[in-house]
Amino acid sequence: MMLARVAENLYWMARYLERAEDTARLINATTMMLMDMPRGASFGWEDLLKVVGLAEPFHKLYDEASESAVMSFLIQDERNPSSIFACVRHARENTRTFREVLPRESWEWVNELYLYTSTHKSSALDRRKRMEVLTEIIRRRQAVVGLLSGTMSRDEAFQFMRIGRNVERADMTSRVLDVSHAVNLPFQGGQFTDLVWVSVLHALSAHQMYRRHVGVHAKGHKVVHYLLNDAQFPRSVRHCLTELQSALGELPGQGPQRQIVSLIRTLDAVDGRKLAANETANGGLHGFCDRLQSGLALLSGAIAETYFRAAHSQPLSQTQFQLA
Amino acid sequence: MKIDCGHYPLMGGFDELLEGPGLPRPGADALCDYFAMLPPEELEARHRAVDAAIMAAGITFTVYSEAGNIDRAWPFDVVPRILAKTEWDHIEAGLKQRLKALNLFIDDIYHDQQIVKDGVFPADVLADSKNFREACVGANPPFGVWAHICGTDLVRDGDGTVYVLEDNLRVPSGVSYMLENRQLMKKLFPELFARYDVLPVDDYPAALYDMLAALSPRAGERPEIAVLTPGIYNSAYFEHSYLAQQMGAHLVEGSDLVVLDDDCVYMKTIEGLTRLDVIYRRVDDDFIDPEVFRADSTLGVPGLMRSWKAGKIGIANAPGSGVADDKVVYAYVPKMIEYYLKEDAILPNVPSYLCMHEADRDYVLANLDKLVVKPANESGGYGMLIGPKSTLEERAKFAELIAENPRNYMAQPTLSLSTVPTLCEDAIEPRHVDLRPFILQSKDFYVTRGGLTRVALRRGSLVVNSSQGGGSKDTWVVQEGSAA
Repeated sequence: MMLARVAENLYWMARYLERAEDTARLINATTMMLMDMPRGASFGWEDLLKVVGLAEPFHKLYDEASESAVMSFLIQDERNPSSIFACVRHARENTRTFREVLPRESWEWVNELYLYTSTHKSSALDRRKRMEVLTEIIRRRQAVVGLLSGTMSRDEAFQFMRIGRNVERADMTSRVLDVSHAVNLPFQGGQFTDLVWVSVLHALSAHQMYRRHVGVHAKGHKVVHYLLNDAQFPRSVRHCLTELQSALGELPGQGPQRQIVSLIRTLDAVDGRKLAANETANGGLHGFCDRLQSGLALLSGAIAETYFRAAHSQPLSQTQFQLA
Repeated sequence: MKIDCGHYPLMGGFDELLEGPGLPRPGADALCDYFAMLPPEELEARHRAVDAAIMAAGITFTVYSEAGNIDRAWPFDVVPRILAKTEWDHIEAGLKQRLKALNLFIDDIYHDQQIVKDGVFPADVLADSKNFREACVGANPPFGVWAHICGTDLVRDGDGTVYVLEDNLRVPSGVSYMLENRQLMKKLFPELFARYDVLPVDDYPAALYDMLAALSPRAGERPEIAVLTPGIYNSAYFEHSYLAQQMGAHLVEGSDLVVLDDDCVYMKTIEGLTRLDVIYRRVDDDFIDPEVFRADSTLGVPGLMRSWKAGKIGIANAPGSGVADDKVVYAYVPKMIEYYLKEDAILPNVPSYLCMHEADRDYVLANLDKLVVKPANESGGYGMLIGPKSTLEERAKFAELIAENPRNYMAQPTLSLSTVPTLCEDAIEPRHVDLRPFILQSKDFYVTRGGLTRVALRRGSLVVNSSQGGGSKDTWVVQEGSAA
């Protein structure tokens, strides 16, 4: 049995940590590609902001999308609630409120992740140290995931973290897929259309697995299919939904299950070739990703309504709730 | 730096580890040998490791300020304090006796007040008690026990006598640090534990759980137990969370609970409402139920008192227990022990002067520069006058305060608290300590083995409270002759 407030905090803690890691991976991929560019060539930092959906909040705080401004905004700026540091800090503050439901070391490791990020965040602005620091952040976050996976009962607390992680991941994948093909990401080089799709795979840390399981050539329709519908790749939208379905199956309540089934049906109907070629009637890939995003938003809403409502509703009466 | 017992600057009082320079007490010799053999760089390294371990484990207490909540690392000293098992057995018996009498007193006060009728306890002390709760009169908590968790502060004077300084019966804290200190010592000095039979302390969470479970109104079922915390900004939040984790209990805030028309307490869970059986509350009486106590409290649960009086929820410590956590009431504990148990007190009180008595008051006012003056109801070392260290103005202010409200003040001689060698900036030096064991009572009794040794880290300071620059040490109760 789980307090509604604690369930909500667990869900958000997992989302924050996933977001921090995804952002770190995206920046690392970008920085790697940067080094392949000819000296003096201009770089699309603005486009990176669009990929993470933060161009608007960025320009409220900064004038020019320079490398240092964008890196500062995405890595250490606490005014950006999605910056790596803000996410890690939120996750740590959340973890403090439910230390009692997690294995003992979890708090220590999340706390160490926070201390590390807090101490090293400014050196990650420097291109020379960036990779090292962000990789260490990813490693420490993964250590927390591994610790929980290896020592924690598959209880309700575990399922809420699993749900948070997969909601965030599905969101990230659909967002990158939506924006990447339209913007001039640094990875694409401009010469071969294939490279558009290589860049999308890189942004989601999917390139190696794609090559291993699909092929060396990044064909548009295959990449779209892989990132939306592959049953085995942990960042594909389908994999995230399957994880969500299984996690929700461990919890009481039916509400969110209906949203999942409807989302999976949407994926079943996908024609990767048409989407990649932007040929479908309903706005092409962009339109599809839009629908996917609204579906995910409905799903988070249903999760909140089903499980977190008790934490917010005042006053309660016996008739509102079935007594356990 | 090297720990050299031969050049240890004893301060003239009682030292817990050394009888004289280079002369360890029985039981402490193996420890002194060990530290003397430890190369200075090794000691430095372990000292640094302690700080790192404390930061990493997030063993902190929180200081809230406008700049946000600041976590202060728990200051820990690596030299343990040693107590011989025979002496400890004597102390333990005294602690149980004391809590037993205190609970009989509280139960009596909320029922017939026989002790007042018999003239043993003065009616006007009760009449002026800040922590007496009218709402608790006539309540019947299980086993007649009100104060289930007691943190009793002990001090040792220059002649070696152990005195009871005060009984903390409201929401005593510190036990998590006692447990953490032992973990730290095991991690950092494993070889020391090979030389000693140190009695373990880590069964406390299980004992606490059993004590709480015995308060469940639904006997026979696995009870739902929760620790009620004021929230993340409370300075003892670390402990609340730690104890919930160690017991496998829920950690709840007031807003997570609701009392319905059936007088039962429910938790707001992902499945709706689930009945709760026992609350270990770490929220003061004043705040636990806005329907009965402070109406502006958002930390409590409306209807909690109603539920408790109906016997639908166990609450530890019971509301109203604080009536015996009063420095004036304290002075009467030896008399309570005689009155209720027909026994002599095993552990003596520090001699106390109650300002409400004219003769005592005159003595206190004439000797303010020699005494420690304490308000009856403060905790955490606030609002005290330490005579020998006070200024003329401070003494004048206290004379005024005492004249205004004599019932609220008591005074004690300044004890020369015992010392323990402590690792300071660049040498090992004596620092004053006290000891807070924790005693549990519901169906059975339990006493921690040792307790939390708090140490005044500033040279010469007698104030050990963590809120005022105190630190702590691991406390070892050892079987005599066990050191190898």
